[in-house]
Amino acid sequence: MNRQIRQLAVGLMACYVVLFATLNYWQVAQEEELNANVENTRAVRREFNRARGPIVTADGVVAAISLPTTDPDADFERQREYPTGDLLSNVTGYFTLSFGSTQAERQYGDVLTGQTTEQQIRALGDLLSSEVDNSGSVQLTLRHDLQQVAKFALGSRTGSVVVIELETGAVRAMYSNPTYDPNSFVNLPFDEAQAQIVALQEAPGNPLVSGAFQQRFMPGSTFKVITTGIGLEAGVIDRNTEFVRESEWVPPQTTDPIQNYRGSVCGGDLPEVFRRSCNIPFAQTAINLGPDRMVAGVEDWGLGEELPIDLPRAAASTFGDTENLDQELPLLGIRGFGQNDDQMVPLHMAMVAGTVANGGQMMEPYVVEATYDNDGRVLDRTDPEVWKTPITPQTATLLTEFMTGVAEGPGGTAQSVKLADGVRFAAKTGTAELGVVDNPDLVHAWMIAFAPLEAPKYAIAVVLTDLTSSQADAATGGRVAGPVVKTVLDFLLTGPGADVVLGPPR
Amino acid sequence: MTDTLEADLGPPRPGRRERRAAAPLAYRRRNAELTLIIMAAVITATAYTVASLGSNSEIPPGIFGFVAFLLGLLLVAHFAVRKLAVGADSTLLPLVALLHGIGFVMITRLDDELASLQSLWSLLGIAVFVGVLLVVQRATDLARYRWVLFFGGTGALLLPLVPGLGNQINGARIWVSVGPINFQPGEFAKIALAIFFASYFAEHRELIAAKTWRIGPLRLPEPRFILPVVVAWGIAVIVMVGERDLGSSLLFFTLFVVMIWVATERVGWLVLGAGLFAGAAYFSWSRFSHVQTRVDIWLDPWSDSLGKGYQIVQSLFGLADGGITGTGLGRGNPDQVPEAQNDFIFASIGEELGLLGATAILMSYLLIVGAGLRTALRTEREFEKLLAVGLTTIIGVQAFIIIGGVIKLVPLTGITLPFVSYGGSSLISNYILLALLIRVSDSSARRLGEVPDQPTPGERWASWLLRRQLRRDRKQAPVARQQEVS
Repeated sequence: MNRQIRQLAVGLMACYVVLFATLNYWQVAQEEELNANVENTRAVRREFNRARGPIVTADGVVAAISLPTTDPDADFERQREYPTGDLLSNVTGYFTLSFGSTQAERQYGDVLTGQTTEQQIRALGDLLSSEVDNSGSVQLTLRHDLQQVAKFALGSRTGSVVVIELETGAVRAMYSNPTYDPNSFVNLPFDEAQAQIVALQEAPGNPLVSGAFQQRFMPGSTFKVITTGIGLEAGVIDRNTEFVRESEWVPPQTTDPIQNYRGSVCGGDLPEVFRRSCNIPFAQTAINLGPDRMVAGVEDWGLGEELPIDLPRAAASTFGDTENLDQELPLLGIRGFGQNDDQMVPLHMAMVAGTVANGGQMMEPYVVEATYDNDGRVLDRTDPEVWKTPITPQTATLLTEFMTGVAEGPGGTAQSVKLADGVRFAAKTGTAELGVVDNPDLVHAWMIAFAPLEAPKYAIAVVLTDLTSSQADAATGGRVAGPVVKTVLDFLLTGPGADVVLGPPR
Repeated sequence: MTDTLEADLGPPRPGRRERRAAAPLAYRRRNAELTLIIMAAVITATAYTVASLGSNSEIPPGIFGFVAFLLGLLLVAHFAVRKLAVGADSTLLPLVALLHGIGFVMITRLDDELASLQSLWSLLGIAVFVGVLLVVQRATDLARYRWVLFFGGTGALLLPLVPGLGNQINGARIWVSVGPINFQPGEFAKIALAIFFASYFAEHRELIAAKTWRIGPLRLPEPRFILPVVVAWGIAVIVMVGERDLGSSLLFFTLFVVMIWVATERVGWLVLGAGLFAGAAYFSWSRFSHVQTRVDIWLDPWSDSLGKGYQIVQSLFGLADGGITGTGLGRGNPDQVPEAQNDFIFASIGEELGLLGATAILMSYLLIVGAGLRTALRTEREFEKLLAVGLTTIIGVQAFIIIGGVIKLVPLTGITLPFVSYGGSSLISNYILLALLIRVSDSSARRLGEVPDQPTPGERWASWLLRRQLRRDRKQAPVARQQEVS
């Protein structure tokens, strides 16, 4: 019998070897595939059950917070809520079990859940546990009050408002319509949440994608700031360059004339054509610069590069297709005044205004002021950084003068906008004619500005998209976007928002 | 005459020091066992603390009570072995202590309420363990009760089928409810049947192996010796069909086939057994939807991953999430797997302790199997040999069936993981099994001369009764003679 017993021992041992091999197959060989399986919610669940800190605005309003679930049968101990509703959703983003996370919730997920190396080291004693609250918090640069004003000023219209602190690049307001309320789906069961998200994805204007930094629009005349800057830097134009007063001009390589806005006669020296926003002079400047210098110039201004904001999936502004532009000089001219294939991200236009006011330095925009650990100690504070230096301080001074003319000079397109208490500002308006065949009146109305003029602090860009502008009711940037700029800047400089002291959170 | 009898019973029991000096090997084993048990206790207590830290970052409030309870139980078991089976293998009890401890920690981590019940079952398990060591002092004594055990075992196995008594839980009709008490008689029946088979085959193995009955080209043993084969096969089928307990059915049949193969030394029994089981399995697969479902889930759980395949798919997700080192105790999501504390406890271990922890469990079973079969090799009594083989096969095969099911190696069948899963019936019956294995191991050590073969308390009691009788006889005898004389 002993032989059989030994054989039995070998047999049972073989069985266990097979078990061990199978275990290796699942836990090692197939590990990645199983963990990547869409039905495997373990990693997300672990994430979801972790304490997640709040996202707070610069003025101390909680924009995202995890609260204990009210339903005792819920799968999770906490649920994510967004007390500010749709006001900051394009910046905070959302955090869901089944549909991932976006914006700051995504970018700063590690901080919020206490998973950064620094937080882990600080909480070394609690490393063993997942339940201990090691969550960090994120303080935004955005101000809740200013955001509300921006939302109010836009009303129900489609468009974006971006306010940046021009010396640092800190984004103080960034609101766009349409937007969405993350509370409408983050805590719903899978099917309902999915239906909501799909509906939002298919909604016009794509509310889930921020109009302020993730979409781009034809800039119209606001682009002339860039063209002028490039022309001045290259020496193609200077302050005294005179432009012929004419209503249309035929560029090379074509017989189709370029017209000024609504075919008006427009010309004069550079400050005049700038403040009156003639088209022809800027088309001529672009063509005189030629494709190479123009393309290199717009690249100096950051076109073609994703905006360096501290949020995922920022858009890049574009000058359009630059292949064979030397064969397409009329298009180059038209792009010189912000039409055709020019597309600018609203945030980028605010940065353009900020660059002029900041002596030619374009700062990297950021929405997170600082991150904190669970004890309120600073983990990381954003240091302002220069992104681009497209123009010299001399050019910046000239552009400031021209932009001041837009607001104050005779015939300036932003003349109608007067800030409260006589605060002076500099601006550029734009009315981009989209040239859509079946809706020729469709325009984007723009205004970019910075104020106060004497010591510029804030740069703003406002765009109202999908407007129709008829002869009778000219929805120009000055008329339509101007009041929005005024509302926001008045609040910020002389209104209730002027006295707000931004302190640390909590 | 009387003097001879007294001499047969030997001198009075020697003192402690003399006993130790007479069996140095046995006492070395016991000391090794004590050391290993304390190591198992330290591992368990550490795991208990870590699991609590992992789930709510607190040192468990009852840690000292827990350690005291744990050490108390293990030391009681150890001293019972030291007193009652001093020559037994030194690794069996520590290995079981480790499995039991890890299982208990996992159950605590999954469900506090079940854990307090499980601690009660642990207490009972150890009590029964000591009780069995105390009652069964000679393994060979068991052979005398084989028919009682046979009828008791098969009766118990069929008990759940009795209307009013049987209780169907989770699809399997393996429960018996008597008043407030629920238990699974099958867990005890497997031991009774192992003892019966061991005893029956030990006695008839040559006759069964002889194959004197010819039917055409077939040479078979005498019909009356084949009868148990048929009975065993019948039991397996009844359990599979009537109680829908595929795991137990497979376990019984494997146990039987392995024992008859070892007893007769004829590999034909393995082939025949495999063929019979395959036939029965195919028959039930083609006839019963629940069997088909099991097989379908085994072959492809992914196609119904939210329905019937949910449990196994979640189990595999858990294993993958654990990876090599595991998520850490208290830090995984083993409660995603239904029945995690029971049949699927191995998946929880694999998730939170990783491949390393799961392998430690596999190694523990393999070492138990090794110790059990070593015991079988060491003893020269056929009954004890077969008993050790049977008991070892039960543990080894049962653990294989459920672990294999959990990791999708074999079709999943509901059966407990010995010593690890939650459950009173399972824990108590497995402690009975362990006590018997330790008893066989001790008996063989005595016969090998590693321990002087002292009379058991039962035998000493009998001898004391005899001596008293003799003394009385002596006192009375002269009187009787005088009466005769007068």
